[in-house]
Amino acid sequence: MLVHLQGPWSPWFGRLTLGDIPYTNPVIIFAFLFTVVAGIALAVPVLYYRKLGYIFREWLCSVDHKKIGVMYIILGLVMMFRGFIDGMMIRTQQVTADGPHSPGFLSAQHGYLPPAHFDQIYSSHGTLMIIFAVGPILTGLGNIIVPLQIGARDMAFPRMNAISLWLSVSGAMLIMASLFIGDFSTAGWVGLIPLTELPYSPSVGVDYWMWALQISSIGTTLNAINIITTIIAMRAPGMRWDRLPIFTWTTLSTNIIGLTAFPILGVALALLGADRYLGTHFFTGGQGGNLMLYTDLFWIWGHPEVYFLVLPAFGIISEIIPTFSEKPLFGYTTMVAATFAIAGVAWAVWLHHFFTMGAGPWVNTFFSVATMLVGIPTGVKVFNWILTMYRGRITYTTPMLWSVSAILMLLIGGLTGIMLANPAINYTVHNSVFVIAHFHCMVLLIAFAIFAAIIYWFPKVFGFRLDEHSSKRFFIFFVLGTVTVFTAMFALGFMGETRRLDYLYDPQWLPLLIVEEIGIVFYCISVGYFFRMLYVSIRDRGRNQCGADPWGTARTLEFLTHSPVPFYNFAVTPHVNALDELAWRRANGHADTPPDHYEPVHMPNSSMIPVIIGVLSFGFGFGMVWRIWWMAGFSLLAIIALIILGSFMPDPGYTISPEEMREMEAQHRAPGIMADSHPPHPAAEERLV
Amino acid sequence: MTVWNSLERSKTLRLLRNKVVPAVLRKLPRAAWLPLLALSGCGNDFRLFHPVGQVAKAEWYSTLFVTGIILLIIIPTTVATVLFAWRYRKSRNASFDPTFTYSLPLELAMWGVPLIIVVILAISTYSSVFAVNPSDPGLLHGHGAAGAEPALQVDVITTDWQWLFIYPQLKIATIDTLVVPQGRTVRFALTSATVTNDFYIPQVAPMIDVMPGMRTQDAFRVNRTGDYEGFSADFSGAGFSWMQFSTRIVSPATFKSWVHETQASPQHMNYAEFLKIAQPKINKSATPAYFSDADPDLFNKVITAVERGLVFPVAMAMGNGK
Ligand code: HEM
Ligand SMILES: [Cu+2]
Repeated sequence: MLVHLQGPWSPWFGRLTLGDIPYTNPVIIFAFLFTVVAGIALAVPVLYYRKLGYIFREWLCSVDHKKIGVMYIILGLVMMFRGFIDGMMIRTQQVTADGPHSPGFLSAQHGYLPPAHFDQIYSSHGTLMIIFAVGPILTGLGNIIVPLQIGARDMAFPRMNAISLWLSVSGAMLIMASLFIGDFSTAGWVGLIPLTELPYSPSVGVDYWMWALQISSIGTTLNAINIITTIIAMRAPGMRWDRLPIFTWTTLSTNIIGLTAFPILGVALALLGADRYLGTHFFTGGQGGNLMLYTDLFWIWGHPEVYFLVLPAFGIISEIIPTFSEKPLFGYTTMVAATFAIAGVAWAVWLHHFFTMGAGPWVNTFFSVATMLVGIPTGVKVFNWILTMYRGRITYTTPMLWSVSAILMLLIGGLTGIMLANPAINYTVHNSVFVIAHFHCMVLLIAFAIFAAIIYWFPKVFGFRLDEHSSKRFFIFFVLGTVTVFTAMFALGFMGETRRLDYLYDPQWLPLLIVEEIGIVFYCISVGYFFRMLYVSIRDRGRNQCGADPWGTARTLEFLTHSPVPFYNFAVTPHVNALDELAWRRANGHADTPPDHYEPVHMPNSSMIPVIIGVLSFGFGFGMVWRIWWMAGFSLLAIIALIILGSFMPDPGYTISPEEMREMEAQHRAPGIMADSHPPHPAAEERLV
Repeated sequence: MTVWNSLERSKTLRLLRNKVVPAVLRKLPRAAWLPLLALSGCGNDFRLFHPVGQVAKAEWYSTLFVTGIILLIIIPTTVATVLFAWRYRKSRNASFDPTFTYSLPLELAMWGVPLIIVVILAISTYSSVFAVNPSDPGLLHGHGAAGAEPALQVDVITTDWQWLFIYPQLKIATIDTLVVPQGRTVRFALTSATVTNDFYIPQVAPMIDVMPGMRTQDAFRVNRTGDYEGFSADFSGAGFSWMQFSTRIVSPATFKSWVHETQASPQHMNYAEFLKIAQPKINKSATPAYFSDADPDLFNKVITAVERGLVFPVAMAMGNGK
């Protein structure tokens, strides 16, 4: 039985009417124009250079783990850019809406955003940054790096890998659609219950949030299965567990978390969906429901989720510091143990997100102590990094600068995290901006690691280095912005400012709010340098070409093969002799020895199925959001049919013969990620589907 | 151990030890007023630095204690990070030892020292949690015995988006204003008629969630008079930013006369009246209202009704819409 809805409904268009397109809101119109201009700026060169076919064939239908990784990262960066604009708007609203005498613009009573709009912006900020920016970028890095680090040719399930990507994209597109058609949830990235229930959030906003998360979380779960299988089953000969690079270890632990945690989110959202669509009462205050059940389920996923994000970041730092200290990682075994200790304890701490929900003192004490225990392995990691630098020979390239700053962020985030873990303290700062500052230290530490990783591995994938000059300026202004904004925010937490305020009643907060706004200016400058870095690097790519190991001191297997990495990864599957294989080969003079013979290499075919599934799942989500049942039903049936069909269609893949391999290897530069597909196999194209 | 030997030899450290630290120490008496200025000068802005009442004070002392203990490990680690990052940069040609990748004593220390710190923190957590437990703070125990006045009961119901305070013993009620006497324990029972809120008076009362169909508790006792700002800390919809209530802690005599005054209010508060005021409303300037003849059982009635499915739906235009 379907629930009663406010507003009209029609069989063809569901709840959608012309009035749902907010064409009168100047802020939205501006956002729309911005998106259109950006879209045209991308589309024109593609059409001009007649690259549409290339993009479709070589990218959208690709099952190559590197291309999928790159697309994940592009998705993440675009979403991060939008999330950044959201953040900028939040800060600007708060600084203009402080005090009862603060003026109002654009029909807002204070500031320039009325509450209903402001609330959507911070909700989408959190959702985008955590689920659609940082998450996909880290997944993308894992996709690119892990197979290379373990000497594999691709992921265990290449086509499923592409499906994961397109599910994430379709979730992100749902959130983008909510900007222009209808509205977004106002209930925060956590989906505050029972605010997300139909009587309190009657419009489609919550549905957008719910389906975007649900669809992308299926993608994440599939990807976790894929990575775990790849690491367990596809390691090159000699890649024993005690030789596994540390980034691969952290990706393994993180995906074990992913595989076990994301289904819980799925269940929580499905039950919420039942409440909103079928009129059940799982989480309502009344008729037998219990809203605390949702809060528990959400955080049983939510806490592991934040470690899902931070562990790969730890892995990145653990790769970069040894490279630029010219020393092996200090305490490799302890580091692996600490990784799994963090992942394990992360399961038993979720209640620290709601000490104030009224649990008894014994329960609160248990979860408090469990939370503080996480601090121990986290500390161990920091000590190991510091001791790696100790007696090293450190060169400060940008990845190293980002990594060292990330350690400092971790120390502040850890300090405040342990403070928050004490319920007596938590009762005074929970739901205040102190918490916001805490987790931004942590999440920005991840962002730092991400920027480090992008600069560190970019030359590997694309064959040329990013411009150091503008990337250092990007770093400086980003760090400056971070310090300015979040120092002020910690102070505001002690002044009693709570989170998610559209209007701030206390004029005494104004000076620090202005300081935060200045920090935002620094951030804006840094974003400018980021774009400049991309522009200059691409312009000067000829000058910045690099060899297999662009840094000269890298240690792991991925730096053994050519830069840019050819589509077949390694001409011959490497035999691994040591932890830090490249360092070992360099020390023993084997780094550049060409292989004495080649063997046939078997590669998977591209496929159109994943991207079609992506489009259909967007259709399904959109249909469900607006309750256009025919659209949702058709999309769902088509997805099921495609998956069944795809499973029965054999994919023989294709084989690169030793002669072809020798020929390609003999070329001056390996065919990289941007190159057109490999001429030897026109047949591969015919079998696109 | 090698680390400490080289620290001994470090030129930087010697400079710190022989020059910088003594210089700072000499200047200290004059500089000592600086942090004091920061605390008192910035004054009341930093609400949490100025707790009132035993419970809030205990929470603030926990904050100081825990921060101090963690800093014992954070400060040396930060210093080491910065020091090593600076000292071992290539251009300085410091000693280089790529074989230093394992050390059992250091490994033991890096697991052991944090473990000790966590044990200390765990013990302090255990005692502070019971002392400030919102539903029944240990700190307020033993009071109210022989002679002392029994606790003042206040029932709190949040609506979209106002606060209703009911004094069941006195049969009065107020909206968006809380008046309590100094020196007497005040016990709150809290529930919501709609969505979850969070009861919070920064310097006075620990945060506690206010949930529909459920009853949570909070308590405090403050031994001096004063005005404080209370508000909802957990986002509850369009009117959330305006969900403030003024908190006045007054002398017992003032309280008595305030109660008399309120008991004479022409407006009454019962379930039927409640259904009217509980309709979604943004009270932008937190205008107070006073009611006499309040139904002492209203709190339970509202919980029961919400458990049976009473909702106050928010109109599309008010709840969402751009
Ligand atoms: C030493 C490790 C850590 C400790 C002890 C810790 C502790 C806490 C506690 C107690 C809270 C709840 C605060 C409150 O709502 O009252 C919290 C919130 C949060 N933490 Fe951490 N944390 C740690 C590491 C991390 C990491 C690594 C991340 C992210 C990658 C993270 C992200 C978050 C987020 C996102 C929230 C707030 C969620 C929300 O309410 O929106 N934390 N942390
Ligand atoms: Cu957590």
